[in-house]
Amino acid sequence: MRYRGTNLKIALCRTHDEPIMKKLLLTFLFLLGLGWALSTFQGLAAQGTYDSIVLDFREDIPPAQVEQQLEAIRSQYDLQPRLNSEFSGTDNVYIVEGDRQRLRQLRKEFGKFVEAIEPNYIYGLPKPELYRDSDCSTSTPEDNAALSPNRPNDPLYSKQWNLQAINVEGAWLDSDGANVTVAVIDTGITQVPDLETTELLPGYDFVNDRERADDDNGHGTHVAGTIAQSTNNNFGVAGIAHGAKLMPLKVLSSQGGGTVSDIAEAIKFAADNGADVINLSLGGSGESQLMQEAIDYAYNKGVVIVAAAGNANQNSAGYPARYPRVVGVSAVDASGDKAPYSNFGAGVDLSAPGGNTKNGESGGILQHTIDPQNGTPAFLAFQGTSMASPHVAGVAALIKAAGVDDAEDVVRILKESARPVQDDTLNHFGSGHLDAKSAVQLAVNGQLTFRDFFRWLRDNGYLNPRFWIDGGTIALLPKIAMVVGSYLLAWLLRNYFPFRWNWNLATGLVMGSSGVFVLRSLYLFDLPQWPLRVMGSSLPELGTAIQGNPALNPIFASVLIPAGLILLLLGHRDWKWFAVGTTLGVASCLAVSAAIDPALVWLGSGWVARGFLAANALACVALARLAVRPGGVTG
Amino acid sequence: MMVTGTVKRVAMGTGTWAIEADNGTTYEIYRGAPPELLEDGLKVEVNGSVRDDVMTLAAIGPVLEVQSFEKR
Repeated sequence: MRYRGTNLKIALCRTHDEPIMKKLLLTFLFLLGLGWALSTFQGLAAQGTYDSIVLDFREDIPPAQVEQQLEAIRSQYDLQPRLNSEFSGTDNVYIVEGDRQRLRQLRKEFGKFVEAIEPNYIYGLPKPELYRDSDCSTSTPEDNAALSPNRPNDPLYSKQWNLQAINVEGAWLDSDGANVTVAVIDTGITQVPDLETTELLPGYDFVNDRERADDDNGHGTHVAGTIAQSTNNNFGVAGIAHGAKLMPLKVLSSQGGGTVSDIAEAIKFAADNGADVINLSLGGSGESQLMQEAIDYAYNKGVVIVAAAGNANQNSAGYPARYPRVVGVSAVDASGDKAPYSNFGAGVDLSAPGGNTKNGESGGILQHTIDPQNGTPAFLAFQGTSMASPHVAGVAALIKAAGVDDAEDVVRILKESARPVQDDTLNHFGSGHLDAKSAVQLAVNGQLTFRDFFRWLRDNGYLNPRFWIDGGTIALLPKIAMVVGSYLLAWLLRNYFPFRWNWNLATGLVMGSSGVFVLRSLYLFDLPQWPLRVMGSSLPELGTAIQGNPALNPIFASVLIPAGLILLLLGHRDWKWFAVGTTLGVASCLAVSAAIDPALVWLGSGWVARGFLAANALACVALARLAVRPGGVTG
Repeated sequence: MMVTGTVKRVAMGTGTWAIEADNGTTYEIYRGAPPELLEDGLKVEVNGSVRDDVMTLAAIGPVLEVQSFEKR
């Protein structure tokens, strides 16, 4: 007896890496995947396209009779049968125009005279994958369009090294910033031609105290362009979150300076008028209580606040970038090095392209703005952390538009998705180089929303019409209840202990709750049905799946296996979520079974079975809760 | 306060005027300075005050509001 405790300890210690169990699990998942692939494989025939039909007349019927049948086709269907080729005469192979319906008619009518009536499938090479690499320097819109579906047709896009440096095209797959409002607190915004399709919301000019907040300097319009320049309009340059709306708030005069009181008021105005993101491409050395309060106010309203670190090449960011609730952005040049002017150190959270125009304009950030000299629209390249900050604000808008509502989550995603820079001892780069593509991917993957769950279900064929039709042969509704129930459990659990939605969790949820149950109604040729039935079963059903017994085995339909999985996988960063998902899935399956059909081997289908299932469902929820809780059994 | 140094045009954002002081600090010249002061390379002695309540798009250093200046 005294050894039992020791054994348990060993088992716990070995949870971190248990190769044999892992192999078993992987094998099982492989089989599962194989079954899955087979179930969704429709064969070539079902997918081919055709617009003509081949008739191969029997060779043992006289030519006169063939001709008679051809005449019938001509007169009845108004079709012109033609020989497939000059070599087809002896084989009696004819082609007529027609679709699926015509094929059916012809088969019915002429079936006895032919060897075959078939769709004349059109074979072709698959369409080539579109080229997605962005480091190609073509400049005509036509070329741009041909390169990548995400490469915008703006002719000057090829000069925007900065957008390519942040992988913005990859981000545009999922988000363009639509329905997000970015407040630009700056010198104002003038709607230059390349902002024509960008929506400007009502703003305010705090310098001249009036509603219109036009730009009389060129800085604010440039910054606005980086965030939301009209894109894919066959003109000029592109902007990062070109679907976003801009709110112009003028606080800096034509000479580029403004007071803390105006800036603080503008921040509050933005927060009160529905801004999701605020960009502050401005800075100073003075800390201000007034500004701090305005920032806290906006932050508490869920606004993401981004600011330029400043351009004094000193080892701390200026204000407002340095406030803890503001994302301070340092600037990098085209090679990713710190720009010579950029502040660094304290207060720098992230780096983004700010450019360096020392060796010419091509090193700067190019946008459409007004010429500071004469106020006319011009494409100008500027440098500064002022240019870096709107890159981050733009990506924040993309993240928001991808469905991340919470400002803290947006900031976390910005930082986590940045490409880290090694040996950054002086904190030149904060979390690293801004990466729009990774940020949006993380935003899309990191959510436990119905949208993602449905996306997951869809990707795996659950929302396929075939599934619903084939699934009719098994009890579909309880299964759906089990999947949805497991999802709801995960959702509830997440409210108490925030965690991120991930693939392993989703797989676990389905495995535990319902299995890939579409497989159970699938009959493949003369394969034995039980392997599919096993793969199509949830964990609690496995105990009786081989025999095909609808009653559950109480050993499998209990907290036992989930507990084993949790013990085994808890130490693993990713697989842990499979265990948690499975546990929640089993909980849902047992709960639904308890409510609808509490049939158990040995225990019958009465109140004993019902109580057993319910108790085990509760135990599973408690177990998952324990496993997810930070610092729980994992320590 | 008195600042001695050299007037510079700085290409940051849309650009701004600065005084590179002999002590190494770069001051940004606040708006409203006399136009004669704004000449690249001009060596000057300036009487002014630092405006902590002002922020700028260039953000290159303390903002100096110039009251008067003398060429050197």
